[in-house]
Amino acid sequence: MELQLGLALPPPPLIPIETFDLNSYGNYETREALGSNALSWPLLKLGPADNDINNIHHHNSSSSSSSSGGGAGCKKRSFDEAPFFDEKRNVPKTLHLLLWTNQPNDEDDDPSNVLHENSSSAIFKNDGEGLVGWPPVKTWRKKVHHQIPNGGAENNRLPAVENGIGGRASKSTYVKVKMEGVPITRKIDLSVHHSFEGLTNTLMRMFGISDGNRKIFKLTYQDREGDWLLAEDVPWRTFIRSLKCLKLIRSRG
Amino acid sequence: MQKEMAYSFPDEVLKHVFSFIQSDKDRNAVSLVCKSWYEIERWCRRKVFIGNCYAVSPRMVIRRFPEVRSIELKGKPHFADFNLVPDGWGGYVLQWIAEMAGAYPWLGEIRLKRMVVTDESLELIAKSFKNFKVLVLFSCEGFSTDGLAAIAASCKNLRELDLRESEVDDLSGHWLAQFPETCTSLVSLNISCLGSDEVSFSALERLVDRCPNLRSLQLNRAVTLDKIANILRRAPQLVDFGTGNYAAELQPDVFSNLAGAFSSCKELKSLSGFWDVVPAYLPALYSICPRLTSLNLSYATIQSPDLIKLVSHCPRLQRLLVLDYVEDSGLEELASSCKDLQELRVFPSDPFGVEPNVSLTEQGLVAVSLGCPKLQSVLYFCRRMSNAALVTIAQNCPNLTRFRLCIIEPKTPDYLTLDPLDAGFGAIVEHCKDLRRLSLSGLLTDHVFEYIGTYGKKLEMLSVAFAGDSDLGLHHVLSGCESLRKLEIRDCPFGDKALLANAAKLETMRSLWMSSCAVSFGACKLLGQKMPKLNVEVIDETEPPDSRPESYPVDKLYIYRSVAGPRFDMPPFVWSMDEAVKILH
Repeated sequence: MELQLGLALPPPPLIPIETFDLNSYGNYETREALGSNALSWPLLKLGPADNDINNIHHHNSSSSSSSSGGGAGCKKRSFDEAPFFDEKRNVPKTLHLLLWTNQPNDEDDDPSNVLHENSSSAIFKNDGEGLVGWPPVKTWRKKVHHQIPNGGAENNRLPAVENGIGGRASKSTYVKVKMEGVPITRKIDLSVHHSFEGLTNTLMRMFGISDGNRKIFKLTYQDREGDWLLAEDVPWRTFIRSLKCLKLIRSRG
Repeated sequence: MQKEMAYSFPDEVLKHVFSFIQSDKDRNAVSLVCKSWYEIERWCRRKVFIGNCYAVSPRMVIRRFPEVRSIELKGKPHFADFNLVPDGWGGYVLQWIAEMAGAYPWLGEIRLKRMVVTDESLELIAKSFKNFKVLVLFSCEGFSTDGLAAIAASCKNLRELDLRESEVDDLSGHWLAQFPETCTSLVSLNISCLGSDEVSFSALERLVDRCPNLRSLQLNRAVTLDKIANILRRAPQLVDFGTGNYAAELQPDVFSNLAGAFSSCKELKSLSGFWDVVPAYLPALYSICPRLTSLNLSYATIQSPDLIKLVSHCPRLQRLLVLDYVEDSGLEELASSCKDLQELRVFPSDPFGVEPNVSLTEQGLVAVSLGCPKLQSVLYFCRRMSNAALVTIAQNCPNLTRFRLCIIEPKTPDYLTLDPLDAGFGAIVEHCKDLRRLSLSGLLTDHVFEYIGTYGKKLEMLSVAFAGDSDLGLHHVLSGCESLRKLEIRDCPFGDKALLANAAKLETMRSLWMSSCAVSFGACKLLGQKMPKLNVEVIDETEPPDSRPESYPVDKLYIYRSVAGPRFDMPPFVWSMDEAVKILH
């Protein structure tokens, strides 16, 4: 069921053209918008909240996404299903590199398809351990919760994540990584690595070191006492527990 | 005759008049009246705010405003706070300091946000500016206590040193002792970000002792509870205080000492810190609670009953930052006790847990919206929301200027109806006509963006994640939000069309961030080539964007307007789409 949009917008004309032509972006003609001018969304009215919600729910069924929970199950509309916007819509009369048309999208690689293919990589970064930067809590705050208070305070409830349980991308254990000869210090999230091999692979990629050059570099780390040690000399667990920061050095001889 | 008189004010008179005009907006307007006003104004502008350090070059600023005494610069995009901007991206302040060192010998104030500040920069500040008074490093990084030592030692009239939320390399705790005995000018000192070993407490005590004008002091976590009383007794004039660690074994003499110290601070209005709180020590605050207007308990892992007790003693509270341990019950108490509340921020105690660990839902926020009519600014993390709740909040709080809601699980629908939350956020933008900042979350279709484009006329900053269905959503925002300055988007199916159709809009904004969206490399190149006043930067840490087909989406995109052209300090994983810059490194 489609509803008329009750928006009262000022009516400068819509300026569409059919094809995308860089040379003619200064010379467009005014034309009637093609297709329906209705947007299928009721204007939200003031009044009892329940009433509005019921209305919206009823009209929603034909056009909303059907996902019922988390995850990436959002229904993606292809271009010709997308509601056409009102012909009275104010389109800025300045430079357009692409003018909005109501034509169906007949490109083969619809960007939304590409996104869908990549959505798993977008959403499950960090080697499948979860989202980067979500929820949007500052690293500063995450650090606070992961520091277990020593002695005295017995009433603090520790978040479940400190026991290693549950969740995604929980331990944001970023450490600094320097490479000999490179002024910029980088940071790497240790929680997504489980072996020296994986860690080294990431570091090689991060600093742009080719496979052939790998042998030139050695991975060293500074432990809590301030001493610099060779990473490969210790087992992974010891390494993870005691390291403060990393440095890639050129091996001599 | 009369016409002549209107233009014949001597410059000194105009200059005097202009000195009463402080806001940047007004000053910019003044400078556009005519050439002579432009000239007069630029010579007497003392304060410059640069929201994006790459929008203009130091040389350009210096050329136009030769007599600046105070500068504020911002560097990295906001999403850098959440690790979305790779390390090494940029935002280096050194070049700015170097150029200003020569041009502005009387520079007194430097405020930086999300910039990389090295020890070299700090040393340069220390030796270049004889009248240096204020250094604020908000969310900065790249420096150590050595740099701080240089500042402390050289800046004889330092009034403000504020390192909030910055990352400092710990090398030595003795930098504080570098403040000479003659330094008595400190008004504000915030060292809350420093790690355990970085503060010499005795030096701090002596410093506090000799600075009678100290109004704001934020200690770091290493300062234990028993030491707080010593500090407070030395500075009873404090208005704003950040405790360190607020935990110790309960001892009556420590408690009474602390309570006495707090009660001697008759001006104290704002408290923060509270790491590792032992609830039994909270009553030590009761004497000052009636005067408190601001309380930051966002590090305090205390439970709802203790929070309720504390909050009920603070009827004048205007600003509360707290963890979701406060729960709905705590927020209901807040709503009934604190009628002056203007700002509420509720942070998640367990952001990565799948199941809720506390009983905090939309009900808490609804209660506050009902009970606190002056509510203007909200940041709320929760795990469920409904359209009905949002509509109620919107109707109760038409004066909201900032509304940031984070429903922790992406694409969570209305838990009552399973609908998208379009209508709820739509109500927010419709009713809150002065809304300047909005962050969205939950299940959202293109319709929410239509609401935002229609009603969000004063919206300046919009944050979007996991929302929308198509380019139409982005188009609504770019074409409708007239005041939009900053737009940051992640994981949305927005592609080329909306961006290219609204290219001109981007020149009216400060910046646009899009990551994990569907904007193709080809579109980025086109924008970069056709829009010389925009810097279009593609960020990709895995491989160069031109090693793939042009239709392939870019990983991260940052577009900002600039009169300085493409920047020269891009790391290998940032590619400029400017025609003049080679894309291949």
